[in-house]
Amino acid sequence: MRPLARIFALIWRTERWSLLRGIALSIVVLLMGVSLLGLSGWFIIAAGAAGLAGAGAIFNVFGPSAGVRFLALGRTAARYGERLLTHDATLKALAALRVRLLTGFAAAPFPVMQRFRGAQVLNRLTSDIDALDGVALRLVIPLLAGGATLALAWGMLALLVDPRVAAWSVLSLTVGAALALAWSARRSARPSRRAEAAAQAFRTRAIDHLRGRAMLAFAGQLESSATHVLQADARGRASRLALARIERRSGAMISVAATLSAAGALYLGAELTRAGAMSPALAALGFFATLALAEAVGPLRRAMGELGGMRDAARRVTHWLPQDRAEPRGRGAPLAGAALRVIDLSIANGPDSPGLTKGLTFTLAPGEIVAVTGASGAGKTTLLNTIAGLLPPRAGEIRLSERPLADWSEPGLRAHLGYLPQRAALIGGTIAENLRLAAPDASPDRLETVLEAVALGPVIEAMGGLEARLGEGGRGLSGGESRRLALARTLLRRPALLLLDEPTEGLDRATARSVLAGLRAYCPEATILLAAHRAVERDWAARELPLDGSAGCGT
Amino acid sequence: MPENPPDFPKSRLSRCVAPVSGRLNRAGALGVFAGLLWLPQAGLVAWLFAGLLDGTAGSQRAALAAAGFAALGALRAAMLALSDRWLAEAAQSVLTGERRHLLEREGRRSPMAPGPGSAELAALAGEKLAALEPYILRYRPAFLRARALPLAILAVAFWKSWVVAAILLIAGPLIPVFMALVGMAAQEASERQMREVGTLNGMLLERLQALVDIRLLDAGARVAADFETRAESLRERTMAVLRVAFLSSTVLELFSALGVALVAVYVGFALLGTLGFGAWATPLTAGEGVFLLLLAPEFFQPLRDLAAAWHDRAAAMAVAGELAAAEAEAPVTILGQGAAVAAVKPAPGAPAISLRNVQVALGEQTRLDFPDFDIFAGESCALTGPSGQGKSTLLAALAGLVPAQGRIEVAGGVLDDARADGWRMAVGWVPQQPHFSAGSLRANLRLAAPEAGEAEIARALRLARAEDIVARLPRGLATRVGETGAGLSGGEARRLMVARAALGQARVVLADEPTANLDAETARAVTDGLLALAAAGATLVVATHDPALVARMGREIPLGGAA
Repeated sequence: MRPLARIFALIWRTERWSLLRGIALSIVVLLMGVSLLGLSGWFIIAAGAAGLAGAGAIFNVFGPSAGVRFLALGRTAARYGERLLTHDATLKALAALRVRLLTGFAAAPFPVMQRFRGAQVLNRLTSDIDALDGVALRLVIPLLAGGATLALAWGMLALLVDPRVAAWSVLSLTVGAALALAWSARRSARPSRRAEAAAQAFRTRAIDHLRGRAMLAFAGQLESSATHVLQADARGRASRLALARIERRSGAMISVAATLSAAGALYLGAELTRAGAMSPALAALGFFATLALAEAVGPLRRAMGELGGMRDAARRVTHWLPQDRAEPRGRGAPLAGAALRVIDLSIANGPDSPGLTKGLTFTLAPGEIVAVTGASGAGKTTLLNTIAGLLPPRAGEIRLSERPLADWSEPGLRAHLGYLPQRAALIGGTIAENLRLAAPDASPDRLETVLEAVALGPVIEAMGGLEARLGEGGRGLSGGESRRLALARTLLRRPALLLLDEPTEGLDRATARSVLAGLRAYCPEATILLAAHRAVERDWAARELPLDGSAGCGT
Repeated sequence: MPENPPDFPKSRLSRCVAPVSGRLNRAGALGVFAGLLWLPQAGLVAWLFAGLLDGTAGSQRAALAAAGFAALGALRAAMLALSDRWLAEAAQSVLTGERRHLLEREGRRSPMAPGPGSAELAALAGEKLAALEPYILRYRPAFLRARALPLAILAVAFWKSWVVAAILLIAGPLIPVFMALVGMAAQEASERQMREVGTLNGMLLERLQALVDIRLLDAGARVAADFETRAESLRERTMAVLRVAFLSSTVLELFSALGVALVAVYVGFALLGTLGFGAWATPLTAGEGVFLLLLAPEFFQPLRDLAAAWHDRAAAMAVAGELAAAEAEAPVTILGQGAAVAAVKPAPGAPAISLRNVQVALGEQTRLDFPDFDIFAGESCALTGPSGQGKSTLLAALAGLVPAQGRIEVAGGVLDDARADGWRMAVGWVPQQPHFSAGSLRANLRLAAPEAGEAEIARALRLARAEDIVARLPRGLATRVGETGAGLSGGEARRLMVARAALGQARVVLADEPTANLDAETARAVTDGLLALAAAGATLVVATHDPALVARMGREIPLGGAA
């Protein structure tokens, strides 16, 4: 229950006043409904009694009939306001929660981030938060408003009708509803968790199935994979049916409690009237008010069905919420070309991975181009990841412009250090949107210049210019074209130190040569360290830094 | 399905529920019957109050009326529960059927063809289709109740008092008019919202997959802000839908509240003798007054339920519209079903693949022509040409992943739907952008050879020069690989794909740029692996512009240029 409480606390903090007003209006709605039916019943029986007694002429009809009209209109208006307020507040709070969560993911350490499965993370962000919209709307608000209404109705009925009728009406309803809700909360926890898990599994598997359909077709497993996806749905179906059954039964329990409560109020009122303890009109007031009071407990029914899922979603969501912390800001003075010094460095892919290279020491003078070479798996990419500050060094030190890497603030480091990773990801959207990830204010001219530099100008032109749209993951460009667009994005900021992981992969020799030349022309002063395995890349560099897995290389 | 566009979502929606319409009607009828039980309940209450007023009610009448009221109420609850059960079952079977249908169609869409993104499709199959559930659970029964119950109550009210019937009649019919207006607006708003949900999910998925790049570009804050704007716009759209929905139910509540109030006021005045008209021969009695007052809210209740469910209908309509739109254009499908059948292997020495006048159309603008050629079984050849000449597309066409015009023959027969599955069982595919599905590396490797043992896996890895990759992974073959092989380098992912082809004992290997990510030494090793497969009798076709690779192939087939 603690994560659920934390989520509600977050919603409460962002939208306290709207929620308070919503709860107040919700109580008003319920009380006006009770009053409307109670007053109408009282009015009819009182008028009937007066008519029978021949006292119709002196009966004050205007008070009650005006009251009935006021309650009818007021209730409608209050209901509209209450719904708008609570829904708007909840949606606002959830939108804020989504953004916080995305920030939390973005702050995860690199090795964790690298292994994120997009679909799963997406599940967390969308369906978990959607599941949480019920926390305020269907759980806390109805619980508070319903409880307050029952308490107030008790007082009103005791005062106007009879303490015994009041006690019976409110207590029977409260006990019946509490039993039904407790039962369903206990029973629904498991199926609702399962239904949620099945929905997540269905989504993950469906995305896997659709993305991997070519591979599946070759394995002759397109059909069996579809069956696998549908199995997740079948599990979900069983859980959803179980949930529906629990909800149905607890709903029937509440309905029966409401019926018994009204029947009891009817019987008590009749007996008290016969005993002369009250008038028939007051008995009618008690009965009709009790009938309307059932609305105070009805809405909780759905919340209980969803409780298990909400609890689960809240646990996962709170796990990823970022802790507030201050990031050092400030970018430092602009650098044209930075010196890079690596001293006695040992690198590894993570704390549990085997170490790759030890005792690495080298220096890059400002403006120098150096190629890191070595067989696949020697640690070229890991070295670049470490220099880029994505992985902590296992031992040793890295200095950028004579300042230790650890002393750089994240924005400062990113402003001076550009890194084209091995698998740079593009996003769906226009070419310009992709480029502006790096420089949001870049003018179209500036974007076109950088595209020219990587020999993409004519390609983009043919596609329809900067506003041409790319599909999911940058689909619509060939492998080599995607690579060059990612490179253009990295160059756009004109970093002082450029780290490039196999920048011309997927390009034919002629294109590769012109891209490298364009790159140098675009960033003439940048210090460049590239992981290279192609001759064309090695030739471009001023010297090579062979990584052979053993210690101590170069200069 | 050539239907009129405005009818599209509506007819699609009725097609969704057609298989369960019998169960839905039964459930609806039971709901109506349960609603009618309110009449005797109200009668009992009225009977007791009439007796209390004229002093004729004894303790027996009080007990009888209260017990009868309770018993009928319990019966009503039980009937509604049974009706709900039938509805829930019907809803689940509709969801299951529609999901199967959608997956089967989209799973066969050619990977080369444009189409909606996987995340958007998964959203449609998942939470969007779920919008059909409230439509079936709430809107359908509410619709049936709204058609039957008010009329029955109106008839009973008319039997007691024509004025009350007239009040109900006037307040009642205005409601459908308002609702029709409100409903139209709600549907439009909800269609907009559904579209937004799909784009928001797709957008988020991509941002998340690009998290590393976003960090490197220091774009985290900007991406979050951008996303916030989108989320905010989704909230606004959702509120627009809700506002319309709330307004429609408010209009209804207003009418029903005024209707109840007018009935109460009229009955009160009639009982006082102020109003001498409205009832039939005799003046209205107090018991009849109570009865009419109890009927009035129940007259409006089905209409209110219907209004509350109106946006369920609008949401279902929007989903049905999306389904209809997705089905409107025939997808470019792969050939065959992707089922496991016996492999169709090329006979040694005969042409494994031959092309005559082949053209591939992807969308409307892109149309690629390919030269005629034959590739004999056991041959190794390179398809070469500058970037953008359709090397990858041709490889996909050779595998039946995209339909081609002209004539492609494989293993001595035309590559068509009947032949494609068997052909692909003989083909090992090494794509340009490797995809790893959820699960362990072992499961991914064994995709095409589920029975393969550890020894066979080790052999395949050795052949593809990929043993060192597995040795370096923290959990070896049990490592869970990411969606696109995250955690593995581009070269490593490619080599694992070659290993997979080796494990599947492919007779034909189609490889798209197999050396693109690899340093010269590893590239040579992978080429050795591919050639080892070829030496064992497999036909090898690579699309490449790597001269070193081309040089080691038996033959070069240039694409593009003048061809």
